[in-house]
Amino acid sequence: MRLPAFLRLSPKWAPYVFISPFLILFAVFGVFPLGFSLYLAFQSWEPTGGLKAMEFVGLANFAFALQDAWFWKALRNTLWLAVASGVPQHLVALPLAAFIHVAFKRLRDGVIAVYFLPYITSTVAIAIMFNALFSQDYGLINAALAQLFGMAHIDWLHDVTHVKPAIAFIVFWRYVGFNTVLYLAAMQTIPGEQYEAATLDGASRWRQFLHVTLPGIRPMIFFGVTLSVIGGLQLFEEPFILTGGKGGVQQSAMTSAVYLFREAFDFNDFGGASAMSWLLFLVVALLTWITNVAFRARKGGA
Amino acid sequence: MSAAATTPAAAVGRDGPGARAARRGAYLIVAVGALFMLAPFWFMFVFATHSRGEIFNLPPPLWFGDDLAANFRLLTERLPFWRNLGWSVYVALMATVLTLLFCSMAGYAFALMEFRFKKPLFALVMATMLLPSFMNMIPMFMIMDALGWIDQQRALYVPGAASAFGIFLMRQFATSAVPRELVEAARMDGCGEFAIYWRIVLPLMKPALGTLALITFIQSWNNFINPLIVMRSVPNYTLPLALRSLQSTMNTEWGALMCGSAIATLPLIVLFAITSRQLIAGLTAGAVK
Amino acid sequence: MTSSDDFLRGARTFAPTRRGVLAAGVAAAVAPAARARPARTLTVAAFPLVDQIVKDAIPQWSQRHPDVGIDVVMRQYDDHHTAMTTALSTAVYLPDVMALEASYVGKFSDGGGLSDLLQPRYDIGRHRARLVAYAYDQAINRKGQVVAAPTDIGPGTMLYRKDLLDRAGLAASDLQPSWDAYVDAGIRIKKATGANLIGNVRTFKDLMIRGGLRKGQGIYFDSDSNVLVDTPRFHRAFELALRMRRNHLEGRLETWSNEWAEAFRRGATATELGGSWMVGQLANWVAPATAGLWRAAQLPESTWVSYGGTYYAIPRDSDPERKALAWELIEMMTLDPARQLAALRTQDAFPALLAAQDAPLIDEPQPFLGGQRARVLWREAARHITATAVHKQAKFAEDAVNAALDSVLDDGMDIRQALSDVARLLELRARR
Repeated sequence: MRLPAFLRLSPKWAPYVFISPFLILFAVFGVFPLGFSLYLAFQSWEPTGGLKAMEFVGLANFAFALQDAWFWKALRNTLWLAVASGVPQHLVALPLAAFIHVAFKRLRDGVIAVYFLPYITSTVAIAIMFNALFSQDYGLINAALAQLFGMAHIDWLHDVTHVKPAIAFIVFWRYVGFNTVLYLAAMQTIPGEQYEAATLDGASRWRQFLHVTLPGIRPMIFFGVTLSVIGGLQLFEEPFILTGGKGGVQQSAMTSAVYLFREAFDFNDFGGASAMSWLLFLVVALLTWITNVAFRARKGGA
Repeated sequence: MSAAATTPAAAVGRDGPGARAARRGAYLIVAVGALFMLAPFWFMFVFATHSRGEIFNLPPPLWFGDDLAANFRLLTERLPFWRNLGWSVYVALMATVLTLLFCSMAGYAFALMEFRFKKPLFALVMATMLLPSFMNMIPMFMIMDALGWIDQQRALYVPGAASAFGIFLMRQFATSAVPRELVEAARMDGCGEFAIYWRIVLPLMKPALGTLALITFIQSWNNFINPLIVMRSVPNYTLPLALRSLQSTMNTEWGALMCGSAIATLPLIVLFAITSRQLIAGLTAGAVK
Repeated sequence: MTSSDDFLRGARTFAPTRRGVLAAGVAAAVAPAARARPARTLTVAAFPLVDQIVKDAIPQWSQRHPDVGIDVVMRQYDDHHTAMTTALSTAVYLPDVMALEASYVGKFSDGGGLSDLLQPRYDIGRHRARLVAYAYDQAINRKGQVVAAPTDIGPGTMLYRKDLLDRAGLAASDLQPSWDAYVDAGIRIKKATGANLIGNVRTFKDLMIRGGLRKGQGIYFDSDSNVLVDTPRFHRAFELALRMRRNHLEGRLETWSNEWAEAFRRGATATELGGSWMVGQLANWVAPATAGLWRAAQLPESTWVSYGGTYYAIPRDSDPERKALAWELIEMMTLDPARQLAALRTQDAFPALLAAQDAPLIDEPQPFLGGQRARVLWREAARHITATAVHKQAKFAEDAVNAALDSVLDDGMDIRQALSDVARLLELRARR
């Protein structure tokens, strides 16, 4: 089918037409809302009064956020959860991937499919599941712990010291398989000759892992860690669902994202919430940049 | 490059008794790990067949019960479950179709066309991937309100339709799978730009399209934050949101909730079981490069 | 070119044929049913169990307005109030009638999103004398507007297991002289029966801090937005709560959770403090098997407070054509004794209409409470309750004070430190 001449795309404009859906969506759902969010951060707005009820307040929202005890508490919670759920993910995924890479040939696809399963499941379903499993008096986890180690029942979800580890565990459970798969794929690109050379040098398997495998998949580790950093800092669904949207006892499971949601939709402070989101964005940007520098530095120093 | 050639063990070819024991230990750990991965799913399906009193009991049930029908009836009483399920399917399908279309278009352009601003525009695409999701909460709400899309399903599948990850994936694949000469030749033959895209490039990108379709479908099906912010009435909810509204009751019907969760998870498990190889291969191919 | 031929051909098919007459007959038969479908629909947004109360009113409404349907949109308690917030701010999906729980009225009252019911078209002022005074006053905002109409109230009450108190050699009057006496009794109950005094110490704290308010004071803020948290009222509540925790008198159970309900079912909780509607909850699903074992009494230390209660409001930006009908529905729900008593009978919603409080139903013995005529008690309590201002940030304050209590009870923080920390947290927000 040939279109009439005036409708046919010229090669000069074609690229822009092809990218236009992205550009339009980005402009409408990306740029404009973000810009408005920045504008809102400087306003005081009582949302139930309608759009006309906005009042310019300068930096008051930012000042409020920086003085607000809950803002800092949420940030601390977020950082704790990001580290506690993120670090084990990679510490476990690396050797696990290495082992699967070596030991499984026929069953490999099945094994990694099993480990990948938590990642493709809905967070809501998972949280509901773990809600039951973590029940203090009737949950399987406490039953197992009591049976195996004689431990007393722990109030995982309603106790200040235990709710964070519970959430960290769930996040770990969810993503460890994903990271394993990533590392496994990267390991498959390391040329066998490197291992042969190391063996000829008399290196043990452990040393080969440290000096051949790890450096070989370095870009993937960087990628995985960056994803974990950003993902950890924006953690929302698991804490939200497990604490009924409130953030838990003494707000101990209230991550920054959950607090942001509550500030906007529970406490109706859109101006304050917008200011907070921009402050948090700075934190995320800073930490991502630090991750970047950390990886680059080691490369230079190696 | 076959797996055998890259594994340290194959290269070594030596195995002492200590190493063998360590190996068996590692097999055990992997097996136990796999059990940990699967156990919650097992219990989700087991609990779906038990009543609330049986689930919250010491010891909890380990095998299936006979309350599935009762739980399902409770579920459909408390929620317009079939509607919610239908919306989840509809939104996921729409998201997949739109994403495939828009991302393949943009990916093809970035891969095989030359134009000014190509580098900065692609950098822009990549930058959007780094934006934390919480930045979007209030803006998403505000723009949907301005457009009048609050409580409408299109608010769920339109915004993410040109996802950066999808464009990235498409571009990677197009660069390696579509020969530039083929495109040039077609252009010289007088083939229109859109025809080149539709008849030549797209068919060559089928594997990547399949992968992106799977990823998009799964992400849309599981999406919770966007519906939470944008949807307002229970009959319009997608499944995750509907299940959560059931969970936040005072008198939570856990049996029905488990049943609903199981039904919400099952389609994906089946889909994943069929396509896991391709899905994982596609995902990691994008990441490795 | 060919299209007009098609059109003419089509038009000729509308000539009378047997099939055409049959079709017309069917249409005629269907038409009356179509006419009976409501021409207009009122949307009522509510949470459980208010939604059921409204649905029960539909037959009576249909008799009065057969052409106006009622669509009840139900969401869970938290989700409902969040949805109402966003509905008011976006003016999208605004219901015609909005049900609000008492503690949320303050959140919306000053924002200007709810219609002033004092306006001549509604004129709620003329009904003031017919409604419970404090409930009416609670809906008055800072500008003097009445933003919502009270439909049911939650007079604070103490529910106790008579059998467990008997075993400890106690009567209700032993728990009532003061809050300290209540806690002392708890120690004796624990020793004699092993049961906890209360499931969650937070509820105890909630009821205590609601007592002893002076005019112009809310629970957490006063009408000038001063923070009231670092006051003897809170200190005392925290101290007694700590005493309860140290003596293991509270179950440490999350209210409404499975474990909390189980404790009631197994007789591990001896008393509960709350609004009168709690009886309905206990009887319906929490612990129905314990029917007959419970009794109600007035709160210790003559604490006359309200815990819960429901209002109906009309959003300012809702469809103006339906506002008159919306108000008519609200009047029916709040001023018609039949509806008020129906709500009492089915959902234990204590009427805000004074006339309904004199009905014979109030004197009815209640089986769950062993035949006690508890509603008389609650009517008495309602007469003593005074209105308290509900500040916009009250919900936030509630969360913050709960967190402070937890830090005192679980982490051993000094009470003075905890309360001054909360006071500082609230001061930042008080005037936003």
